[in-house]
Amino acid sequence: MNIVKFRKNYTGYLFLAPFVIGFLIFGLYPVLNTIGLSFTNTTLMSSVSKFIWFDNFTKLFADNVFLRAVGNTWLIWLLNFIPQIGIAMLLSVLFTSARLKIKAIGVWRAIFFLPNLLMPAAVAALFSALFAYYGPTNQFMVRAGFLSEAMRYLENIWVTRGLVVFIQWWMWFGQTVIILMAGMTSIPVHLYEAAMVDGANTWQMFRRITVPLLRPILIFIFVTSLVGGMQMFDIPFLLTDGRGSPQSSIQTNNILMYMKFASSKGHIGAASSVGFLIFIMTSICALGIFYWLRERDMGDEKPHRRSLLKKNSARSQS
Amino acid sequence: MISRHKLGTYVLRFLVYALLILLLVITIVPIWLLIVNATRSTTEIQQGISILPSTHLLENYGILLGRGLDMPRGFANSLFLAVSSTVVTVYFSLLTAYGLVVYNLKGRRIFSNFVIVLVMIPMQLSIVGFYRFMSKLGLTDNYLALILPLIANASGVFFGKQYFESMLIQDLIDAARIDGASELGIFHRIIIPLAVPGAATMGIFAFVASWNNFFNPFILISSIQKYTLPMLVQTMRGDVYRTEYGAIYLGLAIAIVPIIVIYAFFSRFIVSGIALGAVKE
Repeated sequence: MNIVKFRKNYTGYLFLAPFVIGFLIFGLYPVLNTIGLSFTNTTLMSSVSKFIWFDNFTKLFADNVFLRAVGNTWLIWLLNFIPQIGIAMLLSVLFTSARLKIKAIGVWRAIFFLPNLLMPAAVAALFSALFAYYGPTNQFMVRAGFLSEAMRYLENIWVTRGLVVFIQWWMWFGQTVIILMAGMTSIPVHLYEAAMVDGANTWQMFRRITVPLLRPILIFIFVTSLVGGMQMFDIPFLLTDGRGSPQSSIQTNNILMYMKFASSKGHIGAASSVGFLIFIMTSICALGIFYWLRERDMGDEKPHRRSLLKKNSARSQS
Repeated sequence: MISRHKLGTYVLRFLVYALLILLLVITIVPIWLLIVNATRSTTEIQQGISILPSTHLLENYGILLGRGLDMPRGFANSLFLAVSSTVVTVYFSLLTAYGLVVYNLKGRRIFSNFVIVLVMIPMQLSIVGFYRFMSKLGLTDNYLALILPLIANASGVFFGKQYFESMLIQDLIDAARIDGASELGIFHRIIIPLAVPGAATMGIFAFVASWNNFFNPFILISSIQKYTLPMLVQTMRGDVYRTEYGAIYLGLAIAIVPIIVIYAFFSRFIVSGIALGAVKE
C-alpha cells in the first residue's frame, strides 16, 4: 500500500515537472537575464560588454523621457479603466435587474464582447485609417457640419490619447460585463429578499450587498487590467508612427523599451533597465493591491483570522 | 401608485434599450466600416462613407498581392503558429492542472498560489532577456521560441484547475486505478476525453491569443517569409500603402474576419469560458 502511495505521489510530481522546467527555462531565466543585462552596456552590435553598475538607471532618470513614458502609461490606463468598470457595472446591474427584464441579454453581451477578440494590431491600424486626414471620420464630420474644415486628429495630443483610451475601452468593457455578471448571479438571491423585507432600496442593496460580495472579482478585474495596461504596446505603437507621436504623448513603457532595443546601436542593456523597472513597478502594484484589498475585509477578530483568511483566499482564487 | 411604478419601469426600460443600441452602434460601426471598405475601391473610399459593400474585393486583393505582401503565406504562418500554440497550451496546462487537483502533493497550495502570482506578473517585460537567451540558443527567427514557453502557461493552468475542480473526477480515477491503469494512462485515455469541453474553451482562447500576438513575433522573428499576419499589418502601415486604402482595409479584414467567424460559431463557449476563468461556479 505504501509503495502504491509512493508511486502515486511520485507520478504526481512528474505531472508538474514540465511546467516547472518550462517556467525555470522560459520564465525565470529570462527575467534574471534581463535583470543582469540591465547592469551592463551590452549592445546587439558588439560582443564585448561590461558591468556598469547603475549607469543605465541613472541615465533613465537623467532626462524626463522615462518618467514621461511611465506617466503616459498610467494616464492612458486610468482614463480607460474608470469608464470601463463604470459602464460595465451599470450594464451588469441593468442586465441582472428583475424589474427591467431586459431581453436577449446573451446577444447584447456577446456583441459587446466581440472587439476583445480582434487583433489589436489590426484594430490600431484600422483606427489609424479611420482617423487619417482623408479618412471617413473627417468626411463625416465635415459633411455633417460638425467641423468647418478637416482636422489632423492624429497630430493632436489629446485627440490621439483619447483615441487610445477609447480603443482600450472599446476592446475591454464587454469582457468586464461578462465577468461582473458571473459574479452578480452567484450572489444568493435570499440576501436581496431579506434586505427588501427590511425596506432597503436599490442603491442600498447595491452598496451593501452587491459591491462587498463582488470584491474578489473586482480585485481580479482591477489587477488583470492593470498588468495588461502597464504592458500596453500594440495599440499606441500602430496608431501613429511607432514612437508614440504626436510629441511622445502615447509613448508607453513598452514602446520606450522597444525603441531602446531597436535603436541603431541595439542597446539592449538600456532596454533591459526599462523592462526591469516597469516589471518591478507593475508587480509591486499588482501584488500589493491583490493582497492589500484581500486583507481589508477581514476585520479585527484575531482568533478567526486564519479561517477567514482561508475562506477569503478560496474566494479570491475563484 | 402601482401604475406609477409600472410607468417608471417602462420609461427606464426605454432608456436602457436606447443605451444598449448606442453601445451596439459604437461596437459595430468600426468593424462594419472595415469590412465594407475592404470591398470598395480607393476612389470610392475617398468619395465618402458607405454602409453598403461594393464590388472591388478581388481588385483590392490583387493590389495587396502586387505590392509584394505575401498575405496567403502570412495567413498560413499565423494558422500554423496558432494551431501549434493551442495544442501545446492545452496539453501541458491540463497536465499540470490535473497533477495539482488530483494528487495530494506536498506544497500544492504554494504551487497554486504561485500560479496565480504568475498570472499577475508582467512577463512580457522580460522580453529582452528572453531574446538574448534565444539568440544564444540559435532560436531567434524560429517559431519554437514562440511555442516552447507555452509549456508553462500560468493562465492555462489556472483555467484547467478551475475546470477540474468543478468536474469531480476522483472516483473515476480510483476505479481506473483498481483496473490497473497507469497514472499517465488514466490522464491520456480517461481524463482528456472527458475534459474536451474545457479543453475546447481553453483552446479557443489559446488560438486567439496566438493569432493576435504581435509583440513577441515582432521581436523574435526577422525573416519576411516567417512573418505572421500582425507583422504584415505592421508592414502595411508603411508608406507604400498609404494611397491604396481599399487594399489596406482588405489586409486588416483578412487578419480580423477569421476570428469573427470562429466567434460566430463558438460565442457561447467563449463567453462561459471567460466567466469560468474568473469565477468559481
